[in-house]
Amino acid sequence: MAEITYICKRTVVSTKPTQPGKYHSFSVLDHLMEKNHIRIVYYCKSWGEKEAGEITVSLRESISEMLTHFPKVTGRLIRNEKGNWMIKCNDAGVRMVEARAKGSVEDWLKIVDREKELKLVYWEDMIHKPYFWSTFYVQITEFEEGGVAIGLSCFHLLADPICATMFLKAWADKTLGQKMVSPPFFHPLPPRRPINKTSNHKPYADLINHYKFSIENSIPLLDANHTHTTITLSFSDHMVQACMDMVQPTSAPNKPNRPSSPFEALAGLLWICISKVKGLRNGLVNMSLCLDQRKVLGLDKGFFGNCMVCNKVHSNGLEEHNLSQATKVIGEALEKMDNEGIMDLIEWLKHNDSYSHPLMNNCDLICASLETAEPYSVDFVGGFEPIRVSYYVEPTIGIGQVLIFRAPSYDGPLGRVVMVTLPKDEIVKLCEDELILHLSPRILMGVARNHA
Amino acid sequence: MPPILPDFSNSVKLKYVKLGYQYLVNHILTLTLIPIMAAIFIEVLRMGPDEISNLWKSLHFDLVQILCSAFLIIFIATVYFMSKPRTIFLVDYACFKPPITCRVPFATFMEHSRLNLKNNPKSVEFQMRILERSGLGEETCLPPAIHYIPPKPTMEAARGEAELVIFSAMDSLFEKTGLNPKDIDILIVNCSLFSPTPSLSAMVINKYKLRSNIKSFNLSGMGCSAGLISIDLARDLLQVHPNSNAVIVSTEIITPNYYQGNERAMLLPNCLFRMGGAAILLSNRRSESRRAKYRLVHVVRTHKGADDKAYRCVYEEEDKESKVGISLSKDLMAIAGEALKSNITTIGPLVLPASEQLLFLLTLIGRKIFNPKWKPYIPDFKQAFEHFCIHAGGRAVIDELQKNLQLSSEHVEASRMALHRFGNTSSSSLWYELSYIEAKGRMKRGDRVWQIAFGSGFKCNSAVWKCNQSIKAPTDGPWADCIDRYPVHIPEIVKL
Repeated sequence: MAEITYICKRTVVSTKPTQPGKYHSFSVLDHLMEKNHIRIVYYCKSWGEKEAGEITVSLRESISEMLTHFPKVTGRLIRNEKGNWMIKCNDAGVRMVEARAKGSVEDWLKIVDREKELKLVYWEDMIHKPYFWSTFYVQITEFEEGGVAIGLSCFHLLADPICATMFLKAWADKTLGQKMVSPPFFHPLPPRRPINKTSNHKPYADLINHYKFSIENSIPLLDANHTHTTITLSFSDHMVQACMDMVQPTSAPNKPNRPSSPFEALAGLLWICISKVKGLRNGLVNMSLCLDQRKVLGLDKGFFGNCMVCNKVHSNGLEEHNLSQATKVIGEALEKMDNEGIMDLIEWLKHNDSYSHPLMNNCDLICASLETAEPYSVDFVGGFEPIRVSYYVEPTIGIGQVLIFRAPSYDGPLGRVVMVTLPKDEIVKLCEDELILHLSPRILMGVARNHA
Repeated sequence: MPPILPDFSNSVKLKYVKLGYQYLVNHILTLTLIPIMAAIFIEVLRMGPDEISNLWKSLHFDLVQILCSAFLIIFIATVYFMSKPRTIFLVDYACFKPPITCRVPFATFMEHSRLNLKNNPKSVEFQMRILERSGLGEETCLPPAIHYIPPKPTMEAARGEAELVIFSAMDSLFEKTGLNPKDIDILIVNCSLFSPTPSLSAMVINKYKLRSNIKSFNLSGMGCSAGLISIDLARDLLQVHPNSNAVIVSTEIITPNYYQGNERAMLLPNCLFRMGGAAILLSNRRSESRRAKYRLVHVVRTHKGADDKAYRCVYEEEDKESKVGISLSKDLMAIAGEALKSNITTIGPLVLPASEQLLFLLTLIGRKIFNPKWKPYIPDFKQAFEHFCIHAGGRAVIDELQKNLQLSSEHVEASRMALHRFGNTSSSSLWYELSYIEAKGRMKRGDRVWQIAFGSGFKCNSAVWKCNQSIKAPTDGPWADCIDRYPVHIPEIVKL
């Protein structure tokens, strides 16, 4: 079927030299993500000349121009006096891999699975000398019969999926010859707003305890076995509406009901379904929600760095698999993640900052909302949305991972794409779950079919 | 306070003495002629008109004698004008501006070096030390094939680089001069290390559809001084062919010569050589004299190949792992100094003013006859030239020449800045330097320029140009977007 041939690997640098002697340190939220990396794949239709390699050349030129604004990305890692990572802005550049694939993008998308898709995103684990290791990798795969796949992988220490998408958006804007909509904003996390400081302020314990528990009970990377696989489900507007309707509770008329958001509804749905496939008949699996906190902390949309915080959802008392109750509990957990709570967490993390940071968040099911990323608004072609976007936050070990982000505009404003990563046998059971089948989302990427 | 003043007044006195001496010797002819003419004039006045007419009548002038003297004068004048060499004009030239995406910052170069030479960290360390002291900047460019990990120096990539560099420079030249490709009578391409079949000159003829009776030459293997060798060849050809245009393309193709082994002496060129090229239009047509930028005055070539050490000092060979590279010997600087001395000895009498030559002669006689311990007099070449273009072979070369010729930092500024911005572009570096001087608006009518180039063999070649018309700072050219940032202070060691 579609084979991928790697043509070359090179380094792309910015067009203007960076000022020497600049350094960039990381925040406590960045340090927590040291063991992870992100991979994003964008599928676009071809534009301009159809000659092989021309699209790659124009993308290479535009990324060179765009990298002038991202000195943090073109720098390299060194350790500071405390032993923590820091970036030296030495202008070394970003690795780029160029590849060709047979067939067209549409054909590929019909048969793609996790293993195949990850071949479109090049990644190298940190080498022995981190000073010569690139933290960002870009792969451009041109399909011979039309279409381009752009893969971006990056070290989670530098960026979360939101700003990685923003990086791609800046690149797309430059390719179209436009100015960047939101230029990147490289600053440390803001301090606590002084207005809200009260003398007997009790720190929000739940968030802190959750992080403490996660750090202490992290499964070491070596012990885990990698048998996870990923599927992509697309919920269109009416499917999400139907899900939200299912969520509305019928009892308790005197309690005002806050309408649930698509994320809450889908998170609740998947929580229940995943608990069922894991064999938990009474009670729900441990889950934590991960959200972008840029707005909560009052940061600009272009803030470049980690700004996603997780909070555990309490499933105590939820014995039945009741969708509306699950969603209600999720809503409560989300409300608790306000400015105060996040600031408390950040301060606690600063006080307890240790040298080595273990792999976070692998003792819970992670459900992350990438709502603010707006992946389908990144336009490389000029007037056309990407055909598909996929996100991966690696490594996925432990219970599992769910990523929810906006769908393309033809799926309506409520449309969402859900990428679920679970052990292989559980994924198969998930696809046959009755709740899922009731809503009947489109399966964009399924489980790998074993070839006999 | 008091001790300083006498020194100052002393040096001022010395300066005026020197100036007086120079003026006296350089204008000796005028200074002797004027009193003689004045004396004759006074004598004539004294004699009165009658005596003059008597003197005139006493000279018996025969018709035959008058005719013979007239013919003699005309004959001598004709022979003189016929045997005078044709003036060679440099109409204009264009330098290749590398695409900004080919830029290689120090960090990227070191990283690639480390990734490609995994098993030899000592070689990587060595390259880093060279790069720190090299005098190169962060904007020099390498061809695309060398950006790959590992580099892919295929023949196709080398041809690609040649096409990119040469065609860009030639397109730029055609645009600047309005030259029609069919009007090119002589084509000389020099590229030392890449010599495919058909030759690069054939590649140019094919691309621009030049005439079938064009006289084309392709010089390869002649090192970094091949640019001036091409100029010399063009000059000789233009003496033979009247009313002709000659186009010279000077370049160095880096792709096939990127050394991939571990020998230290061979890793040096990797750190210094960068992508670059230039195209020059020379003409002997009288009509070009109005718009030509420069006039070629002298070309002096010195070859030290007879000496074995000089012959072997830049040597292309295979290392222990059969990887081909160019090995630079440790006494390169000493040999360069010797070659320069040889070249200066020949060019000195051609360009130095009489005052300097006299001083040199006197010191020479003094050393031979009176006292061999007298220091040899180094003529002051700053009086012969306004601008110097020293081949940007490396920081050491420029430092050495600055010391030997006693040049100020303004004189070598063009060379240092060209090395910083473009790296060592081999034979075309002289043209980037000349372009720098023009871009700074320093080139005035009548200014004399000295181009010095060194090359493997070991050769030292010089060319002397005289500026034909004051050149306004150009708005295009390789320095157009960055000239305002220059001159730049280049630290002794850049911390990597």
